[in-house]
Amino acid sequence: MADSVKALPEDIQAIIDIREWDMRTREGVNRFRELRAKSLPSVALDGELIYESLIPPQEELIAEIERRFNTRPTEGGED
Amino acid sequence: MTNGNEPQKYIYRTQGVCPPEIHFQIEGEVLREVRFMGGGCPGNAQLVSRLLHHMPLKALPGLLGGISCKNKTSCPDQLFQALKKVEEGELLPARSFQIVADPQKRKRIALVGALDGRVGSLRALASRLKEEKIEMAYCLGNITGGSLADKALLQGLRKEKHFLAIQGDKDWALARQIISSASSVPLEPKEKDYFDSLGQVFTFQLGGSLGMGFYGRYLQDLPGYSDYEPFALEMNLISNLTQFMQDETVFPALLAMIPQFKAQVIAFSQVRKWGYWQVGGVEVISLGPALEEGKISCGILEERGGQLRFQIKEWPFTLEDESEP
Repeated sequence: MADSVKALPEDIQAIIDIREWDMRTREGVNRFRELRAKSLPSVALDGELIYESLIPPQEELIAEIERRFNTRPTEGGED
Repeated sequence: MTNGNEPQKYIYRTQGVCPPEIHFQIEGEVLREVRFMGGGCPGNAQLVSRLLHHMPLKALPGLLGGISCKNKTSCPDQLFQALKKVEEGELLPARSFQIVADPQKRKRIALVGALDGRVGSLRALASRLKEEKIEMAYCLGNITGGSLADKALLQGLRKEKHFLAIQGDKDWALARQIISSASSVPLEPKEKDYFDSLGQVFTFQLGGSLGMGFYGRYLQDLPGYSDYEPFALEMNLISNLTQFMQDETVFPALLAMIPQFKAQVIAFSQVRKWGYWQVGGVEVISLGPALEEGKISCGILEERGGQLRFQIKEWPFTLEDESEP
């Protein structure tokens, strides 16, 4: 799963921070439970669990990242 | 660098490199068993470990120091930093948990939950398990109950050659108090040595299956506990992911991780409730207390025709059993 995320195009990589959690560690397990995930592999975006048990097609993942990036409030707030 | 020739194990939490931990041992003035845990280039790391095994400590600074790979450091450089911290007394030997391995291959074993300092339960169980032709009984703790009765329990347990006990959380704390003489339980030196020598994890071989047992989550709070120690994966996932098998919603994740387990049988006793699960080829057993509601009980696990069979055995227990010498 991490490999498919790391293989995202450079322009997408530029707008995201990737964090991989190791389920062999207590830290990884704790994060897994915080996200209320159930199975592996799992992908969360902005702390929200989006994909479970599947590796999404790259186009779908890119579209979801762009959608979130484009709909997030700009810095400093906007009325 | 270390006192005597007993190898001392160290765990160093790295900074800026792929493996989050480096494990190594120092025996006298020699480095041993270097392992880069949890990430990095496995092939190179294995080669470095082999090359450094039995290397004199004084030869290492010139070899390891100043190598840069990423973030102005590297795996060898981090090992160099770790050895400097050992020399400066900032990195102490890791104690963590002790694994006691039953060296005999078994066919029929018993798993005993909390004895809670009741020597009567121990006697009654020992008698029943003899009738049941049990080869070895493993007590997962807590064996003591925090009262003066613990002395009799420890004396009794020490005499039972077919019982192998490990420490639960209360046992571990009491053992530390007894060693520091801060306990009111009056133990003889031999009893103290016996109590202190009990491990916190045991392993056994039942037919072709490797089994392991532990009390519960307190092990993760022991100084030097590492996620990469043997059987830490099993304990982390059973204790933390599944909350001692109480959260079945995460069983799909457990199933995905089980191929990395070493053990095919896992037993614990923290929950004080009987339970038995077969998940992904692994048998998981939760032990109830040895004495509950006028009954003594244990789990019996046997290998027959290449298959493991588990059953909970119960026998009535009376006040006379409690007081019988």
